[in-house]
Amino acid sequence: MAKNLIQKNAFFLILTLGTSLLFSGCTFKSKIEPPNTLHLFSIAKIKGLDPIYADDLYSGTEVARVYEGLLQYHYLKRPYVLIPNLSESMPEISPDGKTLTFQIKKGVLFQDNSCFKATQGKGRELKAEDFVYSFKLYADPKLTSSSWWLFDGKILGLNEWRDAAIKADTSDYSLPIEGLKALDHYTLQIKLKQRSTQFLFSLAMPNTAVVPREAAEHYGKEFINHPVGTGPFRLEEYNPSSKLIWIKNPTYRKEYYPSEGEPGDKANGLLEDAGKELPLADQIAVTIHVETQPQWLNFLAGKLDFSSIPKDNFATAITASKELNSELTQKGIKLIKSPSAEVTHETFNMADPLIGKNKLLRQALSLAHNQEKINELFYNFRSINAQGPIPPGLSGYDPLIRNPYRIYNLEKAKELLAKAGYPGGKGLPPIEYLNTADSTARQFAEFTQKSFSEIGVTLKVSTSSWPEFQGAIKNKKGQMWGFAWLADYPDAENFLQLFYSKNASPGPNDSNYSNPDFDKLYEKSLTLTDNPERTEIYKKMVKILVEDSPWIFGAHRITYTLTHPWIKNLKPNDFEHSKAKYYRVDPTLKPGNKK
Amino acid sequence: MWIYIIRKMFSTVPIIFGVALIIFVLFNMVGGDPTYQMLGKHANPKLIAEIRHEYGFDQPKYIQFFEYLKQIATFDYGRSYATRQRISEMISNGIAPSLSLAIPAFFLGTLLAISISLLVAYYRGKWIDKVFVFGCVFGMSLPSLAYILFGQYFLAYKKGWFPISGYETTWPDRLEYLLMPMFIWIAVSLGYDVRFFRTAILEETNQDYVRTARAKGLNEPRVFFKHVLKNSMVPIITNVVIEIPLLILGSFLLESFFGIPGLGSITIDAVHNSDFPVIKAMSTLISLLFILGNMVTDILYTLVDPRVSLE
Repeated sequence: MAKNLIQKNAFFLILTLGTSLLFSGCTFKSKIEPPNTLHLFSIAKIKGLDPIYADDLYSGTEVARVYEGLLQYHYLKRPYVLIPNLSESMPEISPDGKTLTFQIKKGVLFQDNSCFKATQGKGRELKAEDFVYSFKLYADPKLTSSSWWLFDGKILGLNEWRDAAIKADTSDYSLPIEGLKALDHYTLQIKLKQRSTQFLFSLAMPNTAVVPREAAEHYGKEFINHPVGTGPFRLEEYNPSSKLIWIKNPTYRKEYYPSEGEPGDKANGLLEDAGKELPLADQIAVTIHVETQPQWLNFLAGKLDFSSIPKDNFATAITASKELNSELTQKGIKLIKSPSAEVTHETFNMADPLIGKNKLLRQALSLAHNQEKINELFYNFRSINAQGPIPPGLSGYDPLIRNPYRIYNLEKAKELLAKAGYPGGKGLPPIEYLNTADSTARQFAEFTQKSFSEIGVTLKVSTSSWPEFQGAIKNKKGQMWGFAWLADYPDAENFLQLFYSKNASPGPNDSNYSNPDFDKLYEKSLTLTDNPERTEIYKKMVKILVEDSPWIFGAHRITYTLTHPWIKNLKPNDFEHSKAKYYRVDPTLKPGNKK
Repeated sequence: MWIYIIRKMFSTVPIIFGVALIIFVLFNMVGGDPTYQMLGKHANPKLIAEIRHEYGFDQPKYIQFFEYLKQIATFDYGRSYATRQRISEMISNGIAPSLSLAIPAFFLGTLLAISISLLVAYYRGKWIDKVFVFGCVFGMSLPSLAYILFGQYFLAYKKGWFPISGYETTWPDRLEYLLMPMFIWIAVSLGYDVRFFRTAILEETNQDYVRTARAKGLNEPRVFFKHVLKNSMVPIITNVVIEIPLLILGSFLLESFFGIPGLGSITIDAVHNSDFPVIKAMSTLISLLFILGNMVTDILYTLVDPRVSLE
């Protein structure tokens, strides 16, 4: 009897279990959002909201809504200019450039949170000691911060503190660090091992932001889901793979929209909100779109305030003259074009005895690689041919330089190939090209394969998963592969360090390029500030790279952004992650609200 | 039946051990080095050594495998390398969204497929049968991506009948976001299910007992719904019930395109990121669900076929 009962109810048991799981954690209510809500998107899932792990663009952008650092980039000015953020002013720098003294803004409050037990949940005031604590977090070996590289070898005594923590298998936050001191509650002193202009840029990145000790200790490993910063927005709802809701931080300090920008900003309406208190929006709804079709359709339907143009939709959105089509223009949609601070490239493994030792071979392959065709096939002509590694907009970029090996010239390529010892490709074994398994990477590899076959060179494509691909590169295997580098900060050094011999694999110099002349210039450039002398050194370094051809320089891609008429103050900015505090929505221009 | 369940549960131990061993060997051979994923573009030999030490990658392999077995026994896989979230929470947070889509779609789809199969089997060889069989073959030949692209563009964007994508944790808001992916799930599975169920039902209609029932003068609907349906349930149950526990794992494509935060992509993301703790947790979960599915199938056989016994 009992057996029959169980058997008969088995189906319903499964059903009940499933239904319980289905409705678990759910409430039955609908939400209404304020009219001044930004609808933004991320094309990748968010890895977490702890600044020490926010090393990718998408997590960094979300982290910057809630956390702040000492410095930030001026939202409108170009070239990019660093301005104070939590620092009262730009740091006082000692004559040798090694000591930086920051005055911390007074009255800045951390967001209210239950971790502040002493103040019954009210956010306390930010102090210089918070930076000392936070920078130790980045150095703590137990926390394995992905942002440690920004501090590694820079601050006097910080590496030693980290090494002691590794040795003792525990981190002692009470130990003083010579180069990191709170002289008083509002004065922070940082002593560098050597002068570094790049270090200031890192202080404007979201992955050097300040966190309160109470929150980090209260939440422990769960701190990644419970952000407590000083920033303009506070987290209301968080699902790292689908949606984040941010609301205006009611205790945010007084910060104002800039009153000046670059020429043309006023005409473009970018100074209409000059002097207004930030943030301008009441709420931000961020949806995750890992696929391009829903992102694009949601933009067209007005559910997203702005969008990039997916490759497959480019021809329908943009005319042959590279302007917006009339259908979209009639909807009030605008097109903003901006070059990205990045470079695509085909990498030669200079550690490989064949490809690394034969400059003529690399030059020949570079000449046979048709960049114009790539721009057409893969970027819809949204790109500038790269002559070297430095993208436009950064000191050291020379628009007049013409790389003699980046002109598509099969005859010259064949000539150089013969000089390299392989006439018509004879005697040259197939070149091993490492590749990932996604369709775009496969298409790129097929294109390169076809290009090289024109001069008789065979490319053997080895396809693997991303981790295997990365493992091979870090272990100096393979002879060629494609990649792109997006700048971390607006300094050409960020691109040139990719060729510094001490950064060879597993470091960022994955071409394993080594040239003593280049290294000397690179080391000299590190001691200089942004001045004509350094710019000249950068140009010399580029010339060396052009001649040695450790990369086939690809393209600097141009970002096309489409915006709806109701989103205001949108200006592309590759480096400032906290852009959303400047954005405003005019609800009267939204469909259904138009007057 | 209890003895059967207990025996089955004991038999899972060597299966799980085997799965663990295979996963461990495979990951260590081709899974990539998680250290590179963690350090990204700014790795250096010293940092690599530090990370390896911190996460225990420098331990001998047998100790790492023993740790893995301990995690299986305690159901505690720690945190993801990639997202640093607790894996148990990643899974529990993803189950509800996956099931919100999968359960109604699966049950409605199965019910519809069985109903259509009965109808077309009843009218075997008639125009209605031919139309449905043609429809099934046509539906099966379309990739699921085509349904998604069409649904999102035409039904959602152009017609505005559904939201393009999205998900809400609250009810009833969630329902409107789930309707279209649900319909697509049903449409994609219908062709295969109807053809399979139709074949199972038709096989039964050729059995001697059906001929006897007809000879005894039973009308066709009674023959079909009382006798044929019950007896064709064994292959149908085999096909259907084994899938039920695996519904928890969600649908990668539907969840990715419709922005549903389920478990559909968790394993793929983990493989992409060399996220071994998540790979370990998911492979164990999949094994357990598969064993559970088999067990439930066996139990349900006894309900529809009195000749089957679990003793």
